[in-house]
Amino acid sequence: METRRQAVTLFTSVTLLIGIIVIIQLWLVAAALDALLGGQTAVLVPAAIASAVLLVINAGLLRLIVRLDSRVRRGTENDE
Amino acid sequence: MPAQNHDPDAEGDRPGRRPVPRWEEDFPIQTERDHYVARREFAKFLTLGSALLTLANVAIAFVGLRPKKDRPPATLIELASSVQPGGSLLFRYPTDQDPCILIRSTTGKFLAFSQVCTHLSCAVVHDPEHNQLFCPCHRGSFSETEGRPTAGPPTRSLPRIKLEWRDDDLYAVGIEV
Repeated sequence: METRRQAVTLFTSVTLLIGIIVIIQLWLVAAALDALLGGQTAVLVPAAIASAVLLVINAGLLRLIVRLDSRVRRGTENDE
Repeated sequence: MPAQNHDPDAEGDRPGRRPVPRWEEDFPIQTERDHYVARREFAKFLTLGSALLTLANVAIAFVGLRPKKDRPPATLIELASSVQPGGSLLFRYPTDQDPCILIRSTTGKFLAFSQVCTHLSCAVVHDPEHNQLFCPCHRGSFSETEGRPTAGPPTRSLPRIKLEWRDDDLYAVGIEV
């Protein structure tokens, strides 16, 4: 149960981090749309690249969660 | 009936386990486990949202880099020469769905802009007293000479309509975003 409690804390932190990155991506989409309508096409590709980089970071964090999850499950099964 | 004769304190006999009260046996909700699963699923959901936002950003970049269509054909602005200094005239360009405004500054120069406010698409009107185009919906204003936003919520300039004199007629010949 202790392992699971620690995992919940860790999961909360990582989920918060993922949420912050998603908010940044949301802002990037809004800024890119504004730039497109304003005819400033030079910023569109950098915005798309930045968004892709943030997606990679998010995918890495999710992978961390999945690996941690399987480790916690193994630990819980051993406890029981 | 073993369940009815069950002693609630008996669960606490096992080393390392806290005593389980009777209500928890009847309603075995495992809050920790529930929160744990909810966070894991939420993280997956957020990452899916992240992927969709990246897709949206790539689509916007694709649309922005797509080659522009051919210039719209020149359109005659009727009665343009009758507009007095400080006056204005409404016309449609490049299609009948696109309202535009032709203004003549106090110095006599002709300028034309899209009439659609870049904030929330209300129609802007000419305000010759303050040399500006004014949006009455949210009190936004644009410079009369360049179409730049000068006050209120709009952040983008009004698209400018290129004008050209051909003989004594004024034509709209293109759009400058």
